[in-house]
Amino acid sequence: MNNKKRKKYINRKRKEFAWGCLFILPTMTGLIILNIIPIFQTIYQSFFKTGAFGRGNIFVGLTNYKRLILDGAVWQALLNTIKYAIAEVPISIAIALVIAVLLNEKMQGRSIYRAIYFLPMVVAPAAVSMVWKWLFNTEFGLLNHLLESIGLKSVAWISNPAIAIYSIAAVGIWSVIGYNMVLFLAGLQEIPRDYYEAAQIDGANSVQQFFNITVPLISPTMFFVVVTRIIASMQIFDSIFMMIDTSSPALKKTQSLVYLFYRYAFVENNKGYGSAIVTLLLGVIMIITIFQMVIQKKWVHYN
Amino acid sequence: MKRNEKILKSMKHVVLILGAVIMLVPFAWMILTAFKTNSEAMQINPFVIFPKEWRTEAFVNVWNKMNFIRLYANTLIMIVIRILCAVLTATMAGYAFGRLKFRGRDFWFALILFQMMVPGQIFIIPQYLMVGKVGMLNTMFSLVFPGLVTAFGTFLMRQAYMGLPKDLEDAATLDGCNIGQTFLYVMMPLTKSSMVALGIFTALFGYKELMWPLIANTEQSTMPLSAALAKIQGQYGSNFPELMAASMIACIPMIVLYLFFQKQFIEGIATSGGKL
Amino acid sequence: MKMKKVLAAILGATMTLSLAACSSGTSESETSSSDDSKSKDTKLTVAIWDSNQEAGLKEIMNDFTESTGVKVDIQVTPWRDYWTMLEAATQGGEMPDVFWMHSDQISSYAQYDDILLNLSDKIENSDKIDLANYPENLVSIYQNEKGDQLAVPKDIDTCAVWYNKKMFDEAGIEYPTVDWTWDDFREIAKKLTNPEKNQYGTAIKPGSYQESWYSTIYAYGGEVISEDKKKSGFDNPKTIEAMQLIENVIKDGSMPEYSVVAENNTEELMMAGTVAMTFQGSWMIPDLASSDFIKENCDIAPLPKGPNGTKSISNGLGWAASAQGDHTEEAWQLIEYLGSKEAQQKQAELGVTMAAYEGVSDAWKNSHPEFNMQAYLDMLNDAQAYPSSKNTQVWYQVLMERMVDSFSGAKPMDQVCKDFAAEMNQFLAEEQ
Repeated sequence: MNNKKRKKYINRKRKEFAWGCLFILPTMTGLIILNIIPIFQTIYQSFFKTGAFGRGNIFVGLTNYKRLILDGAVWQALLNTIKYAIAEVPISIAIALVIAVLLNEKMQGRSIYRAIYFLPMVVAPAAVSMVWKWLFNTEFGLLNHLLESIGLKSVAWISNPAIAIYSIAAVGIWSVIGYNMVLFLAGLQEIPRDYYEAAQIDGANSVQQFFNITVPLISPTMFFVVVTRIIASMQIFDSIFMMIDTSSPALKKTQSLVYLFYRYAFVENNKGYGSAIVTLLLGVIMIITIFQMVIQKKWVHYN
Repeated sequence: MKRNEKILKSMKHVVLILGAVIMLVPFAWMILTAFKTNSEAMQINPFVIFPKEWRTEAFVNVWNKMNFIRLYANTLIMIVIRILCAVLTATMAGYAFGRLKFRGRDFWFALILFQMMVPGQIFIIPQYLMVGKVGMLNTMFSLVFPGLVTAFGTFLMRQAYMGLPKDLEDAATLDGCNIGQTFLYVMMPLTKSSMVALGIFTALFGYKELMWPLIANTEQSTMPLSAALAKIQGQYGSNFPELMAASMIACIPMIVLYLFFQKQFIEGIATSGGKL
Repeated sequence: MKMKKVLAAILGATMTLSLAACSSGTSESETSSSDDSKSKDTKLTVAIWDSNQEAGLKEIMNDFTESTGVKVDIQVTPWRDYWTMLEAATQGGEMPDVFWMHSDQISSYAQYDDILLNLSDKIENSDKIDLANYPENLVSIYQNEKGDQLAVPKDIDTCAVWYNKKMFDEAGIEYPTVDWTWDDFREIAKKLTNPEKNQYGTAIKPGSYQESWYSTIYAYGGEVISEDKKKSGFDNPKTIEAMQLIENVIKDGSMPEYSVVAENNTEELMMAGTVAMTFQGSWMIPDLASSDFIKENCDIAPLPKGPNGTKSISNGLGWAASAQGDHTEEAWQLIEYLGSKEAQQKQAELGVTMAAYEGVSDAWKNSHPEFNMQAYLDMLNDAQAYPSSKNTQVWYQVLMERMVDSFSGAKPMDQVCKDFAAEMNQFLAEEQ
């Protein structure tokens, strides 16, 4: 009897192994070819001086990394990227959370509001960037016209090196609010109503409720949003590529690491140096992610 | 108390409406500019808000300059193939990771998690060289290539399967289903909403991708809309009515789809993050 | 190689699907079983970067298709992405059959023998093309180190000044003549500036180097790069003097704020009536001539003179063909036709560009009788070859970045020039 059961168990185990391998085979094969091998290839390539058309590659050891360490533009780009992330992530999350809380109850026009806030998510970033570039235009743009019409001075939104990165971050915020809001709405729905009712009986006002119930209970969603948004914002490229011309005085103060990577790898055909830059980005993102995993225990409340 | 509540409620609406206006202004400006002439768009004394005459010139011009039918078709084909491949592979793998116990599972799953943390640009040069080596740049193949499998989707589907009750599986096994049948007939139908979510996510991601098509699909005949917009900007510089018209033409299909399937879009995105 | 097989096996199904879905008009999809000669089924892909020329070239290509039966498909890729595209295509073995070549890029393509089709023997045997009919410096740009001809000159371009007649009239200034100097230009720009009316004398961007400030450098006797292409010319005092003239124009306030210049193309600022004078290459004419505002208000003047005379940076594109394609014979036929007197003349008549073929460009002048097109033709006599080196892109990118610093007023011009010279010398040393 016992033996039979054991046999059955082993049999089942074998079957699970076979089916399991079969089921993950397409994904894992694709993943290895498309992602895992390329990671190592990119790192490998960062030790080469690459010739045009993929020919004449020469092993140069750490030369690309030496250049990278001495290249002020790379560190400036890293700083730009971090500035962008610091501006975009917290502000977009804060605004989205407020909107989500406002929308998290039966009210008139709820679905219309939700639809409008989400709208930028379904528009191609290339189009979004063009529209904003036009709104930001120093001479002919709508924004400066509005400023001037109320008697203020016009601003070189995307040409002034001191503010251009924040203008781009504003576009990022505008684009991503809807996405964050939807995730928060889903998270809010999981908070039991009676928590709020109990708090009301205790005499807590809505601001207190927000900070004492909503924020802690939504922290798992918050954690997800923070992690994914930071990773995404560290890879900012589209809007900079589309909005900042090479003749822009703000280029140096806005180009991100990924922008530099694109320029070196595909415009100047220096794929070795491009690889070194993206390897640096990999390192930075890894450090940030590990750091977040460590500190999440401090602030994320799982039920 | 009652009055306070009323004030609070209308305050809420004021905030929400203000926000909604900010969200919509860029769209409105895009539409208004697209119907202007170039000199109207670049006139500042006086500044022109509404076009004097609603001209469709800019639309006609860009429509003639770019083969939008082709661009729509390319984008659609890419999205459909990617959805099919990604949903199929991720559902299978998600089931295996979520419900089956087998040796090596945790190792392979760690690989999935690892891929999700890595910046996507690190794959691009080798992917590009691979596609180049087999002579497939500027084809539909190169367009769909990076999106054939999805680590994120696998993760999403695993979460969906992990949330299902165990007794369903046991009942199916008692009925004599093998693992494949259990998956196909019992479990998979229960994750439909996650599959839809993944489909929508894949579609949006493919539609918005820019850098890959910018390097791998540089010919108009196989280019998707996103790269075409970048190309139009590079080509026609600062003729803003035409740029806005092109943006409108490129965005309208997705916006219409979104307005029709709003619920699925929003629930899809919610599922993609909410279940984590 | 292994990778290739794995790829093909795993993703085979998708490939078939996508191949079926893709009728990109490349050679493999053109396997219809017509019993006519082989060339009847051939479709050549032609890559260019200037959409202004597309319509005119299409017309010329149609003549070619009519006489040979070979179809031609023109693909426009903007300059910004053109070389990324071509590099990708080269690497993937999917080059367009015929394409534009530029002096910036030729050396990188010419260093390998199997990328560009070697045209030397074909030209030798051709009765349509004799290289003696094209400007010598243009012919030699497109040769490799062994002297093989890798492209046939397509056109030649020069630069000139477009000015707003109305603004000159209002300010009571005479229109520029052949004798005007860069100092005159500076003075006139100052007089035409009226910030209250949002009107400025001129707009020059770092990116309009070929049209404007490269010309200034050579007009002052300076240089961008030494003759042997080993040294930067940016530490040459004459180069610096020329660049300081540009700097002074900026300091005078004769240009709109730099952010305005950076965010808009100079021709668009001209069309908006914001600036009175801009520098435009001859390739811009189709675009400018289609604007009602320009037609009504503007005309063309020669470039100003410097101590070293008038210098117009002149460049010319070449028609090159892929050595890897399946239709190299037809590709050569097309190039032969495009370089022939007949097609060159038509190119000029249609106003596409000035022809590389000497002596037929008068026809080009008449394509827009409303403008003083002669100014561009006159500039041919003051042509200065476009400065380039083996890997121009690398230092050019940095030059643009550095110039933004001085054009925007962040750094003094002489310092920018001197610093850049050192950087450029390093790049040039690496090229060797």
